[in-house]
Amino acid sequence: MNKIYTIADNIITSLGFTSNENFSALKNSKSGIAKTEDPKITQVPMYASIVDSEKLISKFSVIGNPNDYTRLEQMMILSITESLKQTNIDPSNEDTLFVFSSVKGNINLIEDENHPFEKERINLWAISDQVCDFFKSTVKPIFVSNACISGISAIITGAQSLKNQKYKNVIVCGGDIISEFTPSGFQSFKAVSEEPCKPYDANRTGITLGEGVGSIILTTNAELVKEQKPIIFRGGSNSNDANHISGPSRTGDGLYFAISNTLKEANKTNTDIDYISGHGTATPYNDEMEAKAISWAGLNSVPVNSLKSYWGHTLGAAGIIECIAGIHSIKENCLIKSLGYNKHGVSEPINIIKDFQEIEVKKFLKTASGFGGSNAAVYFSELDSD
Amino acid sequence: MKNFISKYCIIKPNEVFVNGKLEFSNIEQNGFGAFMKSIYKHNEIKYPKYFKMDNLCKVAFIASEIILKGNDHIKKLDPTKVGIIIQNSHSSIDTDIKYNETIKDKSNYFPSPAVFVYTLPNVMIGEICIRNKFQGENTCFIAKEFNPEFVCDYVSNLLDSNKLDACITGWADYVDEEYSAKLFLVEKNEENKKDNISFKPEIINQLSR
Repeated sequence: MNKIYTIADNIITSLGFTSNENFSALKNSKSGIAKTEDPKITQVPMYASIVDSEKLISKFSVIGNPNDYTRLEQMMILSITESLKQTNIDPSNEDTLFVFSSVKGNINLIEDENHPFEKERINLWAISDQVCDFFKSTVKPIFVSNACISGISAIITGAQSLKNQKYKNVIVCGGDIISEFTPSGFQSFKAVSEEPCKPYDANRTGITLGEGVGSIILTTNAELVKEQKPIIFRGGSNSNDANHISGPSRTGDGLYFAISNTLKEANKTNTDIDYISGHGTATPYNDEMEAKAISWAGLNSVPVNSLKSYWGHTLGAAGIIECIAGIHSIKENCLIKSLGYNKHGVSEPINIIKDFQEIEVKKFLKTASGFGGSNAAVYFSELDSD
Repeated sequence: MKNFISKYCIIKPNEVFVNGKLEFSNIEQNGFGAFMKSIYKHNEIKYPKYFKMDNLCKVAFIASEIILKGNDHIKKLDPTKVGIIIQNSHSSIDTDIKYNETIKDKSNYFPSPAVFVYTLPNVMIGEICIRNKFQGENTCFIAKEFNPEFVCDYVSNLLDSNKLDACITGWADYVDEEYSAKLFLVEKNEENKKDNISFKPEIINQLSR
């Protein structure tokens, strides 16, 4: 079977508008989380990671009219434009598929009754229509909405479409914005941390929300690969806890199944992992469940981090931008510190990354879990890393 | 390798078709809630959690109960090899709007976690997984209209690559009293069965009309 190469990527978050800007902040343990009292977002002061609106509009104005697109659509179009600059694929060609992920899409249009867009724009598929029209794509796009695992699901779906050989290139793009909707919901669950989130820490008290978009281009066309050692998608899987719609499994079984099926598909074992990019939302139950699954999979010694303490939980973007960070960890041979982790706070002795490290990294596993009982994992590694 | 549809259920406004036959109709022209409740009773479903679900979950759940009725062997399969892949158009917008009502007026601000949890379309899949202890591949895809070609490709891959042994797949949608479900139970072929309905896009199209 043809290999699935990653050839381009972009991240837009509070930490910058390119993958390099974002990854360089991560390397310097710099978080984009800040306190906000914006009444359009929260009724009480809250920590969040917010994309600079002025910068977004000024950057978007170069390629399109900001009045024609919602905030999320602007971020998606901008991110894909930046990714496309790194390669010479033609997004309008029928061998290129777009796969999108978002949890709440243009949810701000439900909250703001005076918005200037047509009513159907609140639908998730309207977003993919807008973005595909911008890039003159005529291929029917795919849209995934799988709660917090959406980004990983989109990557798995994109890779699946390449395996079928129906398409040669897939542009995966996912994201979410912050309006009042999501913060108020998590606040009602008492799941929002009063300080920047502290994944896997003994004193963690909940999530910090964030907004952003990530895009990544996958291809089976080896001619498009510029690097000597490209990073390759090897496998991915998702599963369900079948336990509770808003609480994770107590045993970690669902996530364990996703991890073991991913390794099986990648034709790897639990000794073939240099790094795990965890989900690490910093809620007491999620992090505990993850630790159990990681331990069950025999991965206690593998370095783990959560990047939620840099970007917040970016919902539909999270899986994608965290995979991109994993890819850059391989390219730059380093492991990012799991910010906010001071005192071990999960029952299993998993190996949380305490400090930034320069070390050889060739392969990583990315995991995610979310509402609806969903879990997912994907595995990436460098060419000829075995 | 051929996969086959062992049972299917189409819910249209005021009508429920099972394997192509009209099994139930809403003679009283009740609203969605009352109609679903009458199907629930008719099928002797006993699952109190049903009454907590939002309407999208209800329509998907009822269709799943109907296709699993008489198919107890599915529950005896390896739970990690039974999946649910559902497409939907309006995501959870119906509940999103209801939830938004609870935060719109700052003098009457009462966001509820019980409503918020249903502002995710994949929760309908979670509900069916919990009911039946299914733990396999599960994804909620959003499309303006049901796309049998995509769903068929995606699910066939999961079955043919042995990631799944059986899958509930199709469509479920609800917004503002408009609803539809088209769910198919898809299994791997058995040698001794000759009257199987092939799991193919053109057949799904034909059956879901």
